Amino acid sequence: MPAEPHTAGAGVPDRPEVVLTAATVTVPFETGAGRRTLLGPIDLVLREPRVTVIGANGSGKSTLLRLLNGLVVPTSGSVRVDGLDTASRGSDVRRRVAFAFTDPISQLVMPTGREDVELSLRRVHRSRSERRAAAEAVLARFGLTELADRSVYELSGGERQLMAIAVVLATEPRLLVLDEPTTLLDLRNTVALRRLVATLPQTVVTATHDLDLACEADRTLVIEGGRVVFDGSPDTAVAHYRRSVATS
Amino acid sequence: MREPGLFSAHVVGDSWLHRAPFGAKLIGVIAVGLLPWWVHSAVPLAAVLAALLLIAVTAGVPLSRLLRSLRSLAPVLVVLGAFQWWAVGPAYAVRVVLGIATAFVAAGLLTATTPVTTMLDAVVRGARPASRWVDPEVVALTLAVVLRSVPWVAGAFAVVRESARARGLERDPRALVVPTVVQVVAYGRATGEALAARGLTDPAERA
Repeated sequence: MPAEPHTAGAGVPDRPEVVLTAATVTVPFETGAGRRTLLGPIDLVLREPRVTVIGANGSGKSTLLRLLNGLVVPTSGSVRVDGLDTASRGSDVRRRVAFAFTDPISQLVMPTGREDVELSLRRVHRSRSERRAAAEAVLARFGLTELADRSVYELSGGERQLMAIAVVLATEPRLLVLDEPTTLLDLRNTVALRRLVATLPQTVVTATHDLDLACEADRTLVIEGGRVVFDGSPDTAVAHYRRSVATS
Repeated sequence: MREPGLFSAHVVGDSWLHRAPFGAKLIGVIAVGLLPWWVHSAVPLAAVLAALLLIAVTAGVPLSRLLRSLRSLAPVLVVLGAFQWWAVGPAYAVRVVLGIATAFVAAGLLTATTPVTTMLDAVVRGARPASRWVDPEVVALTLAVVLRSVPWVAGAFAVVRESARARGLERDPRALVVPTVVQVVAYGRATGEALAARGLTDPAERA
């Protein structure tokens, strides 16, 4: 279900700048004695249109992604999106940064996709008729009109994931964060999702185990033990990751 | 893929019931819910249930959906009916079962013929007088999430029951309850995180 090609920047301002300065996330040990570091310290500036993040399970990829829209705030250091601190301006940051999770069923909180898109638009359009018209336009833009009134339980995994992405993009954020978006998808739906992502005007940061998807980026970070151990072009990053897995 | 029931999603349509104002439908549901306190015989309850089935047909709500939802409620009705039969008597048990079934069908018809966004708008309007203390949008969103979670929890329980049966543990209540509760808590956390990620739980400076 290909989306209409979107020219870069249509309806979306310049690329956002994400700056992480010595960002560190620690949590208390379950025993209460001391703290353990989940992530960091990390210093990064992200400006590229497509950034991918790869690494083993539990390496800190999801924590890094959650820093970007303030779902997790650093225990020390700072994260800024367009100069807005995610800790003190979380609400403003979340209007700029959309987040799509691995499992769309926990993200689609309304019975149908149309209602979920309308829910996203409640803050943008107070009038019900305006909201409906805007939702219709969003669904049409993503080629989801035919699925809009079906129960989210009736949609396939791929359809749900595309719907979940349409839902969070309805408010035209500047940055889209995707947390392992293809993990639950078959090959056909993975290809559909990759095609969709390729057409988006937004900056997209994706954490993934799919190394083909990881290579469709301008920059790739390799995370290991909560640290960025490699930062460079996708091909070299994937090669580094493969070597590190082979030698570990 | 779970088959949809009355509470899964609204049935797209333009019937008289779809067009009826949400407030009128809500009053109807409340009236049906209060019926067991007003009547002292099973006959009027059975008549109301039959009328609701007729309403469903005229509103274009598939009877298969309705029956599927009632089937999911059946174990509760059986246990409750048996208990009331034993504790009070057969006439009372029949009234209790019919009372719950009519209220369930009436509520299901309301959700099946009303988009959740319409209900959200109504709840926001209703909660506005209390906006000094609670955010009406959050109240409405909470109700919507509860409504949306009913089929999910039923589905999770069905999967857990299947897994327990595969391990020969279908008679062990712990094998049914513990994994279901764990899944529901995980689902609740994931849903909460998703709502937070969309900014829907942020303090409002709404348009």
